[in-house]
Amino acid sequence: MKSEPLVLGIETSCDETAVGIVRGRVLLANVISTSVEEHAKFGGVVPEIASRAHLEAMQPTIAGALKIAGVALSDIDAFGVTAGPGLIGALVVGTSAASGLSLATGKPLFGVNHLSSHVAVDILDNESALRPSIGLLVSGGHSSILRIGDMVSDVETLGATIDDAAGEAFDKIARILELDFPGGPAIDRLAKSGDATAIDFPRGLTRPSDNPWDFSFSGLKTAVSRYIQSAPSAVKADIAASFQEAVVDVLVTKALAAAASCGIDRLVIAGGVAANSRLRELATARATAQGVELRIPPMALCTDNGAMVAAMTSLALSAGAAPSAVGLGADSTSGLERAIWR
Amino acid sequence: MNTLVIDTSTDRTTAGLVSDGVLVVEKFHDDPLGHSEVLPKLVAEILLSNPVIDSVVIGMGPGPFTGLRAGIAFGRAFAFARNIPWRGVSSLDAIASEINSTDFIVATDARRKEYFYARFTDSARVDGPHVALRQVVEELGIEMHTGFPTALALSALQGSIAQPLYIRRPDAYPAPKGVTFRPATAMDAVALHALEKVIYSGEDPWSLAQFKEELGAGDRYYLIALFEGEVIGYAGVMVAGDVCDILTLSVLSAHRRKGIAREMLKRMIDWSRNRKVDAIMLEMLVGNREAEPLYLSQGFRKIAERADYYGPGKPATIMRKELK
Ligand SMILES: [Zn+2]
Repeated sequence: MKSEPLVLGIETSCDETAVGIVRGRVLLANVISTSVEEHAKFGGVVPEIASRAHLEAMQPTIAGALKIAGVALSDIDAFGVTAGPGLIGALVVGTSAASGLSLATGKPLFGVNHLSSHVAVDILDNESALRPSIGLLVSGGHSSILRIGDMVSDVETLGATIDDAAGEAFDKIARILELDFPGGPAIDRLAKSGDATAIDFPRGLTRPSDNPWDFSFSGLKTAVSRYIQSAPSAVKADIAASFQEAVVDVLVTKALAAAASCGIDRLVIAGGVAANSRLRELATARATAQGVELRIPPMALCTDNGAMVAAMTSLALSAGAAPSAVGLGADSTSGLERAIWR
Repeated sequence: MNTLVIDTSTDRTTAGLVSDGVLVVEKFHDDPLGHSEVLPKLVAEILLSNPVIDSVVIGMGPGPFTGLRAGIAFGRAFAFARNIPWRGVSSLDAIASEINSTDFIVATDARRKEYFYARFTDSARVDGPHVALRQVVEELGIEMHTGFPTALALSALQGSIAQPLYIRRPDAYPAPKGVTFRPATAMDAVALHALEKVIYSGEDPWSLAQFKEELGAGDRYYLIALFEGEVIGYAGVMVAGDVCDILTLSVLSAHRRKGIAREMLKRMIDWSRNRKVDAIMLEMLVGNREAEPLYLSQGFRKIAERADYYGPGKPATIMRKELK
């Protein structure tokens, strides 16, 4: 019996240079090299610095993943790479390196969608098949609600942020509150000692006339800055808790409304913001009440990683999808019109 | 011995095969974008008839960042996967090696109205590589050549360069440790005025009353940079109808060239963008060589000059960046 295909996936869409190796649905290695410390110096991801770091880290990260998986590059049956969406200069390092590996070995290459990969990672080391799901992606780079009928052929974006990403909002508010970067963990920590009901911050795009699945966080950001200006002696922890509650409430409400509307009983939350303790708490409580199965992959598979790209590629292989053409192009603004690059 | 040669440092993506010093095949495609898409196709064509490769030579630039990295990432990964050696060489040196002259400059397009360039005398690089405004390079008055590196010239160069020749610093680079930024309040007027007098001594500094009025007025955003508790820079922007206008951007001379002005400018741009205006504008003393590259790098373009704007004989350049 032929064993499951061995797949190596590369992810470079933002500031993590990441390589994952899977055999079928079994995770063998998930190595991440991040330039987050360099970005911390000026409170956000700087594209050019991320791209330079990707080039530096690419080979050591591939070599590290091979070593951990205990396989040789010549054993790999297929390569996968994030082809979009993401920072264009960062994506190009990944697609170029992946093209080099594919041409050198003669093994197929699949350019895959970063957003769907975030959900696809849930197949790894998991008994249950990937049933139709709603994906809630929340990170510094994206805030979207996806509907996944079939991972390879039926995925659509129901809604996305029209301005800041959820994680970005956390970073910006952390900056205003003079907390550390990245802002998510800092606010989560501070919020634990604050009163989430102290200030009633606005919930973006929740009027009946708004697109029910889109997000907006810039109004909330402005409201928080105004509040701090008008009440300079306010308790920071209360501001952090109330801000966090406003973000998390909207995320969970919209994702579960999408599940109900699509008749789907499974919700996958992924992206760095999935680490937020209040988001987990509220999502668990409300999903249970609605009879929706909630899945949050382990954190190492939740933030940007290479295993999710390998998992998505593995799904493409088992579905019999054709590999991407030689010289696949990175697409920084790609939506979900393509899960696999032609 | 078959050497695969790759260069993506110019608008031309080049891939070639050189065997023991003889060119077997060379393929190229001219397009300032799309190096990452073109290169694998060119290499795939070469591999069809020449599957055995013994080493890789990669042009390391200087060149525009994204295209340059596409070639280096591809070439290194290819060598890694085949378990063969790779070697980086200077793309400018390769162009120079095919020019028959004794004293000249080789310049390639660095975008943003700039050139990457180096000077060669008697077949040796004597200065550079550097990056500078095209006008500055042209004013050197030295015989100037442009061109593309060929596979044969690249493979004939000796030595090995491990890192890309970026030359230019990243668009944003770390502000020195310990610099923080915060919005200015009316309480900061005295400190800003004191700093203004130091930075603009003899150049008509704003008065304390002006600072108080500015910091209290609406539709404005003032930002200050602090280092070890001391104010070392400040910037301000205001909404003026459909555009935002940068009112000041000043950094104490001891703290310049560390990315502080750049960071403040970016925040001014972000603030203006959130105001949904059409564009952001600023005025600059004509010929301000220190400020001009910063503004150009952030997407500002010169749209007009105003005579005597900063006083008799001191014209201003008006610059504008579209935000829509
Ligand atoms: Zn992501």
